[in-house]
Amino acid sequence: MLLYLDPGSGSFLLQLLIAGLAGLSIFLGLQWAKVKKLFRKRQDSAQNQDDEE
Amino acid sequence: MMKNNGTLGASFRDPSGFLFTRDGELYRQVNQVYAGDYERLMTSGLYDKLVESGRLIPHVEASVEPATPGAYKILRPERVPFISYPYEWSFGQLKEAALTTLAIQKRALKYGMSLKDASAYNIQFYRGRAMLIDTLSFETYQESEPWMAYRQFCQHFLAPLALMATRDVRLGQLLRIYLDGIPLDLASRLLPARTRWSPGLLSHIHLHAAAQKKFADISVAEARRGRTMSREALLGLIESLRNTVRKLEWRPAGTEWGQYYGNTNYTDVAFEHKKQLVAEWAKRATPRLVWDLGANTGVFARQVAGPETYVVAWDIDPAAVEQNWRQVQQEKEQNILPLILDLTNPSPAIGWDHRERESFAQRGPVDLVLALALIHHLAISNNLPFERIAEALAHWGNWLIIEFVPKGDSQVQKLLRSRADIFSDYTQASFEAAFGRYFEIVESRQLQDSERFLYLMKKSVP
Repeated sequence: MLLYLDPGSGSFLLQLLIAGLAGLSIFLGLQWAKVKKLFRKRQDSAQNQDDEE
Repeated sequence: MMKNNGTLGASFRDPSGFLFTRDGELYRQVNQVYAGDYERLMTSGLYDKLVESGRLIPHVEASVEPATPGAYKILRPERVPFISYPYEWSFGQLKEAALTTLAIQKRALKYGMSLKDASAYNIQFYRGRAMLIDTLSFETYQESEPWMAYRQFCQHFLAPLALMATRDVRLGQLLRIYLDGIPLDLASRLLPARTRWSPGLLSHIHLHAAAQKKFADISVAEARRGRTMSREALLGLIESLRNTVRKLEWRPAGTEWGQYYGNTNYTDVAFEHKKQLVAEWAKRATPRLVWDLGANTGVFARQVAGPETYVVAWDIDPAAVEQNWRQVQQEKEQNILPLILDLTNPSPAIGWDHRERESFAQRGPVDLVLALALIHHLAISNNLPFERIAEALAHWGNWLIIEFVPKGDSQVQKLLRSRADIFSDYTQASFEAAFGRYFEIVESRQLQDSERFLYLMKKSVP
C-alpha cells in the first residue's frame, strides 16, 4: 500500500470507534423495529436518532 | 501552471503519477509503482462502471514518450472545459461533490478497491455534474483496514458544508485559506453548540477533532493497537457520512441578489432586446469559452451557452450561484458552470510556490467576456476608474460585450444614495475613451425603452 496521505492517528482510532458504534446501532435499530411492531399505534416521530451511527 | 518539462504544478503529492502537457495535449503519467492498482481499476469493471455512471473522467491509453523515467503507462484523459475550485462552488455544488465522492467510495469497495484520497480538488464539474478527475485515486482495498481518506473527507467536505449550513454560508471561503480543508478543531469551535446533538456532526467533527488532539503524538499503529475494521463497518462509516451530508441543507434566500430580476428597473422590452443582442453578438465571436461576470442566476449566460460554447457564470452572491446551479441540475444543462467570485478580489494563485491552484486570471484569457449591468458596481461601489476596468477586461478576454449604465439610471442612483457623488468622470464619453484604448468598439446600441447602452468590443492588438 502506498501511503502518501497521513491518515492521522486520531482519525484512524475514531473510525474504529464509530465502526463499533455503528454495529451497536444496527443491533439497537433491529431491536427498536421489533418494539415498534409491538406498539404499532405510536410509532411516528423521535426515532431518527439511531439510524445514523 | 507548468514546470519546464510540462508537469502541472498541482500534480506532485501522489507518487502514483502526475499530469503533464505536451503540444497542447493533457496527459497523465502512471508510474510503475501504481501498475497493480491501475490494472485492477481497469480490469475489475470499476472503471467502466464509474465512467458509465458519469462519475469518473474517461481516458484512453496513449503511446507517447513518458515525461520522466519510471512510467508504466501514459493516459490521455478527456479534458474538462474549465477547472474550478471548492472555494468557488456554491453550497449545493460542494454537497454534490461530497456525495459523489462517497458514492464512488461505496462503488469502489464493491470492486475490491478504495479511495486513497478524498480531496475536493479531485472533483470537477463536467457535463453538468460532479466527476472524479484523478484516475489514480484508487488503491486495492485491504481487508480490515479503516478508510485512509476519512480525515481528508471530513476536512474537505463535511466541515465546510456543516459550517455553511449551520453557521454562515460565507464560511465556505475558509477553503481558500486552508488548502487541505478546514482543520477540524477550528470547525468544531466555529460550529453552533446545537450541532453536538446531530450524531453525525458530533462524531465526524466534534469527537473527531478531540480524537486528533488526544492522539496527536502517537503513531497510527500505537493508536489502533491491532484493532481492525470490517468491510461492513467501513460501509457503515460511509453510510453515516452520507446521511450526515444529506441532512445538511442551505436555502438561498435573503442575500443581495436572490430576488434581483424581480425588482430591476427595466421593462420587458429592454430585457428582451438585451437578451436578443447578447445572443446575436456572442455568435460573432464564435466563442468556445465564455466568462459571464456578475451573471446572477445565469439568464444571459443561457443566451450564449450551447453545444460548442461553454459559459462560466460568475457571481459574488452565493444565493444567485446556488439558484443557477439548481437550474443546471434540474434542466440537466451541460454547458453552464455557475461559480462564486468577488471580482474586486478574485481567486488568487495558491499553494506551493503559488502553483497548485491557479488564479482567476491565469485560467484565462477566454474568447468572450460578458459584463452586463456590472460597470456601475465596479466604478461606483468599488471606486475603480474606467481605465483600470478596461485594462483588466482586455486581460481576461478577446471579445467583450459590456453594458453601460448611465448615472441617471435608478440602479446607479441607488448606489449613490449612501455616499457622496465623487464620480464626475462617470460619463458615457469617458467610458468610450477609456475602453477605446484597449478595444475596438465594433458596435453599440441603446437598449429599447431604456437609457442603457450595450457594446460589442474586440481587443485591439497591444
